[in-house]
Amino acid sequence: MVPTRASERAAVITGLGVVSPLGNSFADVAESLLAGRSGVREIAAAAGAREGRQFAAPVTAIPRPTGPGCDDFAGLGRLEQLCLAPAALAFADAAVANVVRPQRIGIVLGIGAEQLKAWELDFLAGGKRVFEPHRSETLVHTLARRLGIAGPAVAVAAACASSGYAMALGRTWLEAGQVDACLVGGCDILSPTAIAAFYNLRALSRRSDDPHKASRPFDRDRDGFVMAEGGAFFILERRSEAARRGAKVYGELAGVGVSSDAHHMVTPCSDPTEAARAISLALADAGVAPADVDYVNAHAAGTPVGDAAEAGAIRLAFGTAADTIPVSSTKSMSGHLVSGAAAFEAVACLAAMQRGAVPPTVNLDAVDPACALDHVPHVARPHRVTIAASNSFGFGGANLCLVLRKAA
Amino acid sequence: MHTLQFQPAAAPACVVESHAIVEVPLTEVRALRDAPSPAGAPALPPRFLRHCDEHTVVGVRAVLEAIAAMPEPTASFARYGVIGAPLQAGRIAAAQTLSQVAKSGGIAVSPHIVPQCSLHALASAVSVALGMHGPNIGTSGGPEALSEGLFAALSLVRSAGCDGLWLVFTEWDEEPILDDAGAATNDPLCRAVAVAIRPHTATDTGAVTLSLTSADTAVHRDAAARPSGSALAAFAWALGTCAAGGAIASWVHECPWGAEIRIASAAQAARSARPQAAEHMRREAA
Repeated sequence: MVPTRASERAAVITGLGVVSPLGNSFADVAESLLAGRSGVREIAAAAGAREGRQFAAPVTAIPRPTGPGCDDFAGLGRLEQLCLAPAALAFADAAVANVVRPQRIGIVLGIGAEQLKAWELDFLAGGKRVFEPHRSETLVHTLARRLGIAGPAVAVAAACASSGYAMALGRTWLEAGQVDACLVGGCDILSPTAIAAFYNLRALSRRSDDPHKASRPFDRDRDGFVMAEGGAFFILERRSEAARRGAKVYGELAGVGVSSDAHHMVTPCSDPTEAARAISLALADAGVAPADVDYVNAHAAGTPVGDAAEAGAIRLAFGTAADTIPVSSTKSMSGHLVSGAAAFEAVACLAAMQRGAVPPTVNLDAVDPACALDHVPHVARPHRVTIAASNSFGFGGANLCLVLRKAA
Repeated sequence: MHTLQFQPAAAPACVVESHAIVEVPLTEVRALRDAPSPAGAPALPPRFLRHCDEHTVVGVRAVLEAIAAMPEPTASFARYGVIGAPLQAGRIAAAQTLSQVAKSGGIAVSPHIVPQCSLHALASAVSVALGMHGPNIGTSGGPEALSEGLFAALSLVRSAGCDGLWLVFTEWDEEPILDDAGAATNDPLCRAVAVAIRPHTATDTGAVTLSLTSADTAVHRDAAARPSGSALAAFAWALGTCAAGGAIASWVHECPWGAEIRIASAAQAARSARPQAAEHMRREAA
């Protein structure tokens, strides 16, 4: 294993905040994932378009962060709360505000449909903003203002890979010296129109008779994904500066690979070539060989085409090493956090490293032969994880792979 | 040929290979949707833009016009990425959808609204249309789209592992005023600016430079205190003026976090280079 990146400039994670259907702290999420708990439950009948019982993986309680910029938290809209809570938690966790000048702290928010959601939530509350020609400040600038971040502030969108692209861009800024610390991540919110849109697209599972069993990535009987909400944020810093101030380090964002299928705006690409290329680019960026990887957190949402294509991409990128690298999809428990998924699944990788166990793919009763890999069905597998790869794919053919390395 | 320069100042500039500015009234977007390709540009698959947002239709047209304007059309953009920065994309579709949902429930929601009318959609459409396998990313969506788009592009152009990037901005000249059904009651212009950039090489002799000062050295100011008006229109004007061989005194775009992006003509670049050359000559003489 030959690190390609000067170790001094490596981007390490020194702060973490998460709000999710599986818990609102790193410890709670790790425990839920390794216990195989599902966050999927029935939701109010009005909040969706399907017939019969409706289900998703909601955040049941958003923690109220303390500190500057959070005094009026209770009065904020749910979307702002779902973003601000994990962002503020990560910011406080890293305690960078006292050691890095505000102008040297950046923020990249991964969020795919902020305005569609904001207009919808306003409309449902009786508002008319969508009909009015107003241009309002976007969330990334609101977060920056509230948290006292005065460096670059950019929102990025790559559909279900959005928060992973946010992590990638923040890492680029660190390497270029644009910032000394960067708050990166993303989140999403359940909304009736989004649920209806994905349902009408036939992308959601229709297993309403047994919601807990509905999210079943790689399973022969999978029929779509389960929508979820929440997200995660991280503080990235250069290793040298984190070490200088004695910061706690969760892990290193060691490699990033991105590509596009250039296939279709909506339907996933069954050809795994470009997804595999993103994985290979990430491994090369991290300076690791396929056999060095201890765990793959798959994007696998439970869609028939997507899961099979990803299995093919993993086989193509990892070659024979794919026979023995544990692969799981934590979406089987968390549901699909959409814009927040990539960041949340990075948390899952860090949990696997810290706890020495690979979280399972629950509901994986019968592996689809088209998805043959070294799966971890039903229960967590004790396994030393030093290097993990996490895949994220989105509408429009956006492919992303993050490689995370355990803190030394 | 123009060049873009990214801080730190020693970093090589980025070359603008081509650009185009398109302004289309809302009432003419439908015709453009059906026939988006100008002469000399690649033809898109039939009905490719059928479900796309207006921003995407006009943005794709700008990319195609920029390709048609290239002195030596690039045969393939397979190794390019794309960043799309539409300002409030999807508002008309959202208004129409919500209006319909209020009457008919979730069955009225188009499955295309998320994949075709969200922030990523413009970049994805360009990526799919032109077969680009580099990253495709949407950015901003809000009033700071120019700052966020330029900053993201200049950050990624060397690190994204591709030959170059397309950067596409779109906005309404004035936002559509919508009735309760989501139909526009005015006919605003949709403006799109498409720019193809690639890392500078030693053989490039740029006519126009765009440079970015570090956020660290500039003073952070309240965005609300900056002059009103469309930053994108000013950027389009500056690009157009320079491309036409005109000299502009200066154009500066200030990002809300304090970084400044500057565009300068060839003459200006030469003037600013002269003192450095003189200093170099003095050192040589000494």
